Amino acid sequence: MATMLSWILVVLGQVLVAIGIACDLIAAILMHRLRSFYLRIHALTVGSIGGAVVPLIGAALIAAGSDFLGTYRWYVAGGAVVTAAITFIMAGAGTHAIARAVLRTRAVEEEPSSGA
Amino acid sequence: MRNVVVALAVVFTVLLLAYATYLGALGPIPPNDLRELAKALLERSYRPWNPFNTSMCPEAVTAVVWDFRGLDTVFETVVFYGAIVATLALYRTTSRSLGLVGERLSLIVRYATLVSVPMILIVAAATALHGQLTPGGGFQGGAIAAVAPVVALVVFGRRKLLDLGVTYVKALIVRNLALVAIALTALGPLIAGIVLGIDAYVLQNQGKVGAPLSYPPWILDVPSGGSVILFNIFEALAVAAGFTLVFLTLALDEETARRELVGEDRGW
Repeated sequence: MATMLSWILVVLGQVLVAIGIACDLIAAILMHRLRSFYLRIHALTVGSIGGAVVPLIGAALIAAGSDFLGTYRWYVAGGAVVTAAITFIMAGAGTHAIARAVLRTRAVEEEPSSGA
Repeated sequence: MRNVVVALAVVFTVLLLAYATYLGALGPIPPNDLRELAKALLERSYRPWNPFNTSMCPEAVTAVVWDFRGLDTVFETVVFYGAIVATLALYRTTSRSLGLVGERLSLIVRYATLVSVPMILIVAAATALHGQLTPGGGFQGGAIAAVAPVVALVVFGRRKLLDLGVTYVKALIVRNLALVAIALTALGPLIAGIVLGIDAYVLQNQGKVGAPLSYPPWILDVPSGGSVILFNIFEALAVAAGFTLVFLTLALDEETARRELVGEDRGW
């Protein structure tokens, strides 16, 4: 039963890591292709949340399901979850700070226009 | 066309390097045996069963940094503080003035920072205090701790930081006291040796043949690394305070900073 549960955790974790890889790739392409700063901000979030937080949760699940690591798997899993939580808060706040600073200093043209 | 060529060149180079590594260009990874130097370092880093000529420090890199080549690290520390002193000397009067009263950032960023600053300080303390057990150490811990005042400086503004008591003078006092403490830790065994009338060395950690003085090798049941944990703590404080000083100074507005530099090129 424990082995079955471990397998489920590992497979779920690998799915999340795969989603993360896809998000990072999409973010990289969008960062290159989107035409303005405010649009590229979305790509930034796809990369930082989808490409960092999601695979970190995946890494935590993989670690939790890796019985051969013994007690140490909980250190790895705990570290990954804490890092994911911090990244989740920081990435949002950081993106917000950058967007706000750019908006207030009018460093780039507002495009697409908010109509304000 | 140019982009395609560059992209292909990068891909080709990466593949070539990967293939060369796969064929064994870097030798066996990991190597099959330890070099003599590595063996000697590992044997002497942590040897509780024979406490002579050892650092009592399970983290071999920190043992090398603060014990085996301790004098080198002391000189590195001096170079680092020389650089900070030079920066502060450039702004010798304005760095103590209020200068720019920075505007704070939005509510979202301020709350996120309130959550993250204590965590940064905890990670810094853990990195410095566990330096003798796990990768990390004084400089790393201090550098991490210095991120907290920088983030606070940007998010809450210089005025708020000064109101909270993170001032130029306090940072200067902490830095200088920490430097004195590092010097005393290095000279401690020598001074004790002179007082007790026995032989001792500068930067001596554990006892050696003919020089039996040792720093306490254990804190409760945890290996302390003897002098290593003291060096780590004082170095962390000194580095954190040093970086804070520089950042407080660099956060001055350009006009104030320029006023200070007038005449430097003419020597007055």
